[in-house]
Amino acid sequence: MSPAAVKVDRLEKTLGKNRVLRGISFEGDSGEIFGLLGPNGAGKTTTLRIIGTLLVPDTGSVDVLGFDTRAAPEEVRRRVGVVTAEIGVYARLSARENIAYFAELSGVLNGELKRRVDAVIDRLDMGSFANQRAESLSSGQKQKVAIARAIVHDPEILMFDEPTSNLDVLASREIRDFMVESRERGKCVIFSTHVLHDAERLCDRVTILHQGTVVASGTTAEVRGSHRDLEDAFLELVE
Amino acid sequence: MKALGIVFRKEMREILRDRRTLIAIGLAALATPIVLIVISQVTAKTATQAYTVGYSGDIPVGLDTLLTATALKLERVSDPAAAAKKEVDLGVVFQPTQIDEYYDPSRQGAQIADTRLQTVLGQYDAAKAAAALREKGIDPALLNPIPLKVHPLSSPVKAAGNAFLSFFLPYILITMVFTGGLSAALDATAGEREKKTLEALLLTPSPRSRILLGKILAVTTISLISAVAAIGSMLLTLWQLPLLGTRVTLSPLAAAVMVWLAVLLAASFSSLTLALGTLAKNFRQGQAFSTPLYFITIFPASIILFIPNFNPNLAYYLIPIFNAVLVLRDAIVQNSVAWPALGVTTASLVATALTCWYATLRLFTRETLLIRS
Repeated sequence: MSPAAVKVDRLEKTLGKNRVLRGISFEGDSGEIFGLLGPNGAGKTTTLRIIGTLLVPDTGSVDVLGFDTRAAPEEVRRRVGVVTAEIGVYARLSARENIAYFAELSGVLNGELKRRVDAVIDRLDMGSFANQRAESLSSGQKQKVAIARAIVHDPEILMFDEPTSNLDVLASREIRDFMVESRERGKCVIFSTHVLHDAERLCDRVTILHQGTVVASGTTAEVRGSHRDLEDAFLELVE
Repeated sequence: MKALGIVFRKEMREILRDRRTLIAIGLAALATPIVLIVISQVTAKTATQAYTVGYSGDIPVGLDTLLTATALKLERVSDPAAAAKKEVDLGVVFQPTQIDEYYDPSRQGAQIADTRLQTVLGQYDAAKAAAALREKGIDPALLNPIPLKVHPLSSPVKAAGNAFLSFFLPYILITMVFTGGLSAALDATAGEREKKTLEALLLTPSPRSRILLGKILAVTTISLISAVAAIGSMLLTLWQLPLLGTRVTLSPLAAAVMVWLAVLLAASFSSLTLALGTLAKNFRQGQAFSTPLYFITIFPASIILFIPNFNPNLAYYLIPIFNAVLVLRDAIVQNSVAWPALGVTTASLVATALTCWYATLRLFTRETLLIRS
């Protein structure tokens, strides 16, 4: 069995006076969509930020494809693409310029830059607005720019933090389809959401967080158990 | 260092597409010439404007001609003292043995008219005394036994022009270097947070120090462009427009010193304003933080303006900003550079820039940078 793409081990983190994570552990594998579920404030975003090396854990460790987040943060970031919950883009740059900027910062070489940017624009069907300034784009189009910039360096790990929360039905479906496609390409997709319905449809395995602790973990079917759906299972776990 | 260049190019592209910054630079380039044109017209008008002297009594023979030639218009009034309060610029009562003058020193017109009257009366008295001595066969030179002959070592008119430049240029330089890059600095830090792009930027593998250096370089560049635009337009206007009776020009040495100081100041200010932007939650809060800082930076320039003959020892050149004003003042007024002073100033400003950069980097690498968002 190959080692886990992402291994989170007994992670603890306090921000200010708030003990956000209280020793959580889970593993995400390549070729799967792993759901990090829980209500707002459960600690999902903090966990993703620690995996992305933006925050340092107080105790515990995170290993990404063999690299420790504390010891080799730049190597970790090279292998991770994150679609953040807040989809900010540079308004005065075009969609293409936004993507190219992140590609360059992620180490895509000049000779390869245009091909890579064109490829993600094509893959996400962004051709019709690629040269428009980002300030004139719709929320769905901006979300595509955010995804494009996160994947343009072809990372092995993709993390989505509440990616559909501000999107309409069509745009949400496109995001879900993209996650499925990424799984088929062998990527490890970590999907953080409080929308359990979405998670149930997409995730191979899930971990449910509540108040900074893991309250359930396993395949989606295992966590759902005998309940009608994941939402019912979750409500029983946290009540 | 590749990330530095990538960030610099992107920041410059964004800045040059930002109307706020371009308008600020354009206004800076236009505002100074407009102020100078107004000053020039006001000074020209003041020099040629006629002022009214309300008088009573009999004017001594010939004095009326002298007064009129000096643009003092004579107007007979019943009560010169009362008229001098409002209707005329000066009130004068001519009596056979003395002249009484009434004027209000709080009125600028009255002050100028007073100066002109004193000058005319001095010349008139001297001429009358000389004529009386001549009538008695005495050489009028007796009145001036040790004549003074003045040999100015430089053109007094040019000196007045240099004094004006040394008064105006440091002020414009500091203001434009500070404000020229302010919007760009806040946009590159607080703006990133406000636009929600900061997290994505920090998730790239590029080291934060390089990202920050790229931003500093872009803000420094735009500060310099802004300062050079404002000072260039000012010098062009002064060259075209006689001010204080002369065309004021900056010597090549003073210009070189000014550009060097602008580079050093821009490097310090860009780090400082980026630090403020990093501390601020949004662009508006960043602007609120910057206002007191602007007054602190402009304070040294203001102090020196009120101490024209201030000759400091070398230790004063350790004080950032203050030292830049001193060096620039000396370069303009004396058209020379005291190299030890410039060396200390350079070391002081480089140390300031590095300290500011380090402080900003510390802020930029703290976890709270993200938590604040």
